[in-house]
Amino acid sequence: MKKILIIEDDKTIQNELLELLKGAEYEGKALQDFENAEQEIIKENPDLILLDIHIPYLNGEILLQKIRKKSNVPIIMVTSKNTEADELLSMMYGADDYITKPYHPNILLFRIANILKRLEEHQENFAYKDIMIDKEHGILKRNQIEVFLTKNEMIIFSYLVSHKNKVVTRDELMTTLWNNAEYINDNALTVNISRLRTKLKEIGYENEIETRKGYGYILG
Amino acid sequence: MKLKEYIKDKSYAFFLFLLFLFLFSLFLFAFKLDLSFILILLMLYIIFFFLLFIIDFLRKKVFYQKLLSWTTSLDKSYLVLELLEEPNFYEGRILYQVLYEINKSMIENIGIYEQQTIDFKEYVEMWIHEIKIPISSLVLMNHNHKGKFPVEAIQQIKRIENDVEQVLYYVRSENAEKDYLINEVSLKKVVSEVALRNKDDLLENKVDFIVDINETKVLTDSKWLEFILNQIINNSIKYKKDQGDSYIHLSIKETEKEVTLEIKDNGIGIVTSDLKKVFEKSFTGQNGRKKAKSTGMGLFIVKRLCEKLGHQVNISSVLDEYTKVTIIFLKNHYYDVLK
Repeated sequence: MKKILIIEDDKTIQNELLELLKGAEYEGKALQDFENAEQEIIKENPDLILLDIHIPYLNGEILLQKIRKKSNVPIIMVTSKNTEADELLSMMYGADDYITKPYHPNILLFRIANILKRLEEHQENFAYKDIMIDKEHGILKRNQIEVFLTKNEMIIFSYLVSHKNKVVTRDELMTTLWNNAEYINDNALTVNISRLRTKLKEIGYENEIETRKGYGYILG
Repeated sequence: MKLKEYIKDKSYAFFLFLLFLFLFSLFLFAFKLDLSFILILLMLYIIFFFLLFIIDFLRKKVFYQKLLSWTTSLDKSYLVLELLEEPNFYEGRILYQVLYEINKSMIENIGIYEQQTIDFKEYVEMWIHEIKIPISSLVLMNHNHKGKFPVEAIQQIKRIENDVEQVLYYVRSENAEKDYLINEVSLKKVVSEVALRNKDDLLENKVDFIVDINETKVLTDSKWLEFILNQIINNSIKYKKDQGDSYIHLSIKETEKEVTLEIKDNGIGIVTSDLKKVFEKSFTGQNGRKKAKSTGMGLFIVKRLCEKLGHQVNISSVLDEYTKVTIIFLKNHYYDVLK
């Protein structure tokens, strides 16, 4: 389980973020001692840090610089300061991403997942059961049978695979698609999923994607 | 400074002088002096009298002429003192000193208001950062505890968020201070931010979002552009037709000198008589009354922000057919060279 450190002084947001991270199966931890932020962070040794600019004792940007001197841990700035200058400054100081409040929770989770995934580059070609997935060319291959997926179908299938055995909501799928600049509507999503099912059937996996009415879909 | 007006102003002197000449000649005649002697004497008087006025006129003319012409030709006429030299005649110096004092006190006064505006702006910006914290909490709570919140709640939160942001950009657009940063920005990326922000609204209202944008980059401030596009897209969603398939289509045209971003919808459109007024402050028009939710500020702020960034924004529409907003970004070849 990846450990994510939250540096945020507003208690309500802190708690809600912890809950959000827990729901997404991350180990969330909120920094309590802002006075010794630097040492605390090193001690916690997180996989990723969510850092607010307005925090007690220290300015987030300064803390960012200090962390960068000692560690390459991925840092996402989460802040209500939404000027171009603030963003540029943060990126210059070594932040990996910059999100302004109020953000959509799913989008925040996506940005986190993206950054963590970037660290595990070798993920490009992966597999599901005995299906080989060639993401780049949009090919699923099993026992010498190949099916071609469209870009949208591949985005949906990869998301389902990385969340297998878990219920994936339509909203999560939509957010993934829109995040990849595929601005499709509800009908198109339904069509894409049924076409994906047909293609999976062609390589011998019928009823692999189950519909959970009122919740979403589940693979596996 | 006109000679005629000057003479008119000095008429009392001329009158007194003529009277003096008359009495003086009477006096000279009474003593039976030689006529040529009298004439020479009178001539001398007249010559020196006129010399006195001509010299006086010329001294003043140089100063007043500059003062008058610069006051009318300068776009900021209060700066005229910066150009003028202090004159060498007494009245002029008084005027100069007085103008200087008036100017000083005015500048001090404006300074007070300027500071007040800056303080107010800073307060509003700070307040907006503060208010975003509870808004974020609400969004997160709503996400974490689905079912506890009514579905409408999230829409209301989104409305608060949009209205708050409008205030922020209104303050920014009205302020003389330059708080934007022009950068090379990928249109695709900005559009995707705006799309994600409005995803739920677009899906909820069944408005298709069609994007034909390549990797084009433009010179702008990405946060400002995001706000601008967000306003335009919010309008398209708000003023969609009740029946039929709705869409918003974003596309670009690129020429040697400029990039044009076009945002076209198939909504209810805008009546021709309203069209030229939509960028005016607080203008709501027929659509605003129909949907009864408009403040008339959105497009006004959009226009102001575009002006500041140096983009051109235009709107065209056919009632019941479409509304099309175009934003033109100029290309800067100097910038290319710098890279």
